[in-house]
Amino acid sequence: MSEAGSGHRDLALAERCRAGAPGAFEELYRAHAPRLFGLACRMVGRTEAEDLLQDIFLTAHRKLALYKGESSLGTWLFRLATNQCLDYLRSRGARLSQLTDTLDDDPVSVGVGTMRSAVDRLDLERGLATLPPGCRTVFVLHDVEGLEHREIAALLGISDGTSKSQLHKARYRLRAALITQPAGARGKH
Amino acid sequence: MTCQDVEQRLSRFVDGDLDADEQASVSSHLDTCAGCRAIASDLTRVRDAARALGPVAPPEHIWLEIAGQIRLGDRLTPADAPTPPPRVSSTMWQWVGLAAGLVLVTLVAYLVIHLRAPVPATTTAGNGGAPGSVESVAQELSLALEHYDKAIAQLEVLAKNNDGTIDATTAATLQHNLSVIDQAIAESRAALAADPQSQPALDSLIDALRRKVGVLQTTVALMNEIRRGNQEGAARVAAGAGRS
Repeated sequence: MSEAGSGHRDLALAERCRAGAPGAFEELYRAHAPRLFGLACRMVGRTEAEDLLQDIFLTAHRKLALYKGESSLGTWLFRLATNQCLDYLRSRGARLSQLTDTLDDDPVSVGVGTMRSAVDRLDLERGLATLPPGCRTVFVLHDVEGLEHREIAALLGISDGTSKSQLHKARYRLRAALITQPAGARGKH
Repeated sequence: MTCQDVEQRLSRFVDGDLDADEQASVSSHLDTCAGCRAIASDLTRVRDAARALGPVAPPEHIWLEIAGQIRLGDRLTPADAPTPPPRVSSTMWQWVGLAAGLVLVTLVAYLVIHLRAPVPATTTAGNGGAPGSVESVAQELSLALEHYDKAIAQLEVLAKNNDGTIDATTAATLQHNLSVIDQAIAESRAALAADPQSQPALDSLIDALRRKVGVLQTTVALMNEIRRGNQEGAARVAAGAGRS
């Protein structure tokens, strides 16, 4: 579907949701929940992500009146979800700017050895869960979700350079995790 | 460039994010350094694997909970509307289960009622016939009863694990209302068992089911208000419970 057609469809769906049309909000949920749930799982962990996904869609339900179609519904929801995840992390006392500052002073080990030729998805998800929130957030937004450093910097209130530095640390830490993971531990948990 | 210099730039290098001179210097180093080349390869694979991570399907109960929250929210006055929305603690799984059950009960009970509504004298040429309505209603009714029983069972578990969320007086009122409705349901079921084609018995059973769902929804709404710390909202819901 063309961008214009997609935009028209998004506006129509938003309008049906606002009007309380049967099934409209569920349609919106079904279309976008998997991506947003993936984002939340990787940013805050699976258990909290289930609660957060509820919050995200309840907030979206309340704020749909503000959606004017300037961006796609997917983008609008993604932004909302990202902010909710960040608010959650901040509410846990995990001030991202402080975390990233701390990490800036923390040297990253290059690690010894090399990774397997194919990166196992589950191993990567497990490694991701062990990262500190600051660099994990940057990694998820940049490498998983495809945001630019300037977009991440704006979202997190940090500089582009700090975003790049956090990404560097996250990738090295993940590499180290994937190198050192014992073969016997694979497929467990 | 030393290996250490290169390692500090490798992440940006694999993204092509260095300026042209640095990009060329790192590239030149990699041509001759197998160790740094291996790291660059690893970082590239980490990045590419991350890009391949896809969406994650959420558990179905989350949608049911959202739908239930929206329904309950719609029943509250704007002043009571959840802003921000209430967080359902992951330790409150029993409530999630109950809410999911309630949504199903409400939905199916609604379907039963909705299916049955046009069947009597109101049938028109446009929708006349409502084919197989007896069978379909029976099937829907069976489903409704099944979900209803499940929700009741969950509620009973909660009652046994009473954490004092609802005060004793209100709980007694709710319990009394439920008992009265249960009696009506039992009588209707008995009448239906004696005469499966009895329209009044079916009407009575469906009406009792609707009332039961209403009491259960009130209970959940009350719990939610109390957990939110909204005493005013809780008092309003509790007052409504007393009238139901």
